[in-house]
Amino acid sequence: MLGAVLALATTAAVPGPPLPPSPNPTAPVISAALTDTTVQVKSDFRGARIVLYGAVFDSAARPSDVVVLVRGPEQPVRLTRKQKVAGLWLNSRPVVFRGAPGFYRAASNRPLDDIATFGTLRRLGAGVDHLPINAPAEQHIETRYGVRDVVVSSLGPDYYDWRRAVVRIREKSGLYHEDGQGVSFVDRGLFRAEIALPTGAPTGVYQAQILLFQDGKPVSSRQRTLTVEKVGLERALYVWAHDRPWSYGLAAMAFALAAGWGASAAFRRD
Amino acid sequence: MDIYLPIAEVAVNAPLIVLLGAVVGFISGMFGIGGGFLMTPMLVFLGIPAPVAVASMANHVAASSMSSVIAYSRRRAVDLRMGAVLAGGGIVGAFLGVELFRWLRLMGQADLVVSLSYLVFLGVIGGLMLMESLSAILRRRRNEPPPPRRDRRPVWLYGLPLKMRFPRSRLYISVIPPVALGIFVGVLSAIMGVGGGFILVPAMVYVLRMPAGMVVGTSLLQIIITTALTGVLQAGRNQTVDIVLATLLLVGGIVGAQFGARASSRFRAEELRAILALIVLLVGLRMGLGLFLTPDEPFVLMSGMG
Repeated sequence: MLGAVLALATTAAVPGPPLPPSPNPTAPVISAALTDTTVQVKSDFRGARIVLYGAVFDSAARPSDVVVLVRGPEQPVRLTRKQKVAGLWLNSRPVVFRGAPGFYRAASNRPLDDIATFGTLRRLGAGVDHLPINAPAEQHIETRYGVRDVVVSSLGPDYYDWRRAVVRIREKSGLYHEDGQGVSFVDRGLFRAEIALPTGAPTGVYQAQILLFQDGKPVSSRQRTLTVEKVGLERALYVWAHDRPWSYGLAAMAFALAAGWGASAAFRRD
Repeated sequence: MDIYLPIAEVAVNAPLIVLLGAVVGFISGMFGIGGGFLMTPMLVFLGIPAPVAVASMANHVAASSMSSVIAYSRRRAVDLRMGAVLAGGGIVGAFLGVELFRWLRLMGQADLVVSLSYLVFLGVIGGLMLMESLSAILRRRRNEPPPPRRDRRPVWLYGLPLKMRFPRSRLYISVIPPVALGIFVGVLSAIMGVGGGFILVPAMVYVLRMPAGMVVGTSLLQIIITTALTGVLQAGRNQTVDIVLATLLLVGGIVGAQFGARASSRFRAEELRAILALIVLLVGLRMGLGLFLTPDEPFVLMSGMG
């Protein structure tokens, strides 16, 4: 067993044909890589563009579709709805949605609905409409019309409005995006896609899933990771503020007071 | 020239923030107020998350108030004892306010209370100040003599127990009104993200009847103590103080405050009050407007997980 693992590791280390091992030599295989695997967030961070490129290896040259799904770390969303009460627009009770990635991008060579069926897309979480976003705190299970274990949301029929709002708000800030033309074939079997990270992209580990579809079914997939991290002074300050908040707060305030004192001394007219 | 803020996690235009700090600092030095009521809405408007704006603003207000309070104390225009009594109340109020704000955020009603507080307090104070200062300006234009200063102080100020001497302000009053005022301002400062000067200054003039020369310096002293506490509390409990943002703001703020303190001597007091009243009124109305206008997006993302 150990020998087999070692053998695999050795094969992977030797630069050779990029064909990944496959049990069936005629089965189609997809392969992909990112131009950058880490994005550094510094004081001049203004978002980033990362290029993903890859190839489809299929000896039978069947018609292929490529779907690239990039998910950022999960960030729960707390949402409220403005309601008109006695002429005033007031906030409703807030609702917490879970399962929402902090960043999401679905890119494909043609619209997702043309590539696969609703059920397949839903199962893979492909497309902003198929993200597993829900509000577990609002759900309870009851028996309806004799059917047991029916999941009912206390948001009632408005549930889909709320869910769509989560996606809409994140789309507006550039965090969610679905692009039916985001993957382009540059040569036979060779494709590329661009991942645009906005300034507000959360830090953490991102998963890029590259899927090969044939005949509406996912036949091969690859997983790549991308790390977005703060570096240098930004990281030092962030870590200080979160790990030792009291000393950070005291230092920040002492600095502010000293600066005020210094300015007053500098401007003193004698 | 954009710069990325490590805690707020957004990029802002650095010269614009410095300029904003300078303008608010100028107003702060000129009128003896912290300027938080202007700064907080502006920062939120520029896309900085509200909790970070409120918390980082405290550092800026403390710095610019520090910069101008020294100038006032050189002129012996600070009543240290009154400042300490007010600040004692302010500290209690700040703790109460932070708890109240936390509870309001859990209920999802923080936005409403913030908007209403801005509308009510800024609206009322701005309106009263505007009327008072305009009538003073009109009287002067018509060369009418100023109304006799009502030296008779309210009876309740003297009827209450726990009397204390404030020699600088030539007052011998109960400590209950200043402590209560301090608590009230402390609560407001935690909820509205302001130093509270816009309430303190008129209250010290009209309620406590302090001599006009003492009011500004003493209010600044109280603001420094309250905002210094708020800033450290916010950093310690909520990790929302962005030191890069605060530094950008205070670079402009301390310079602006110096020029503001000097410019204030070139204007007549009632003209200054009229300008401040207009600014206060406009900000209050703008913040309150959101309650009445139909929102473009009915769903609102709430910051923080409560």
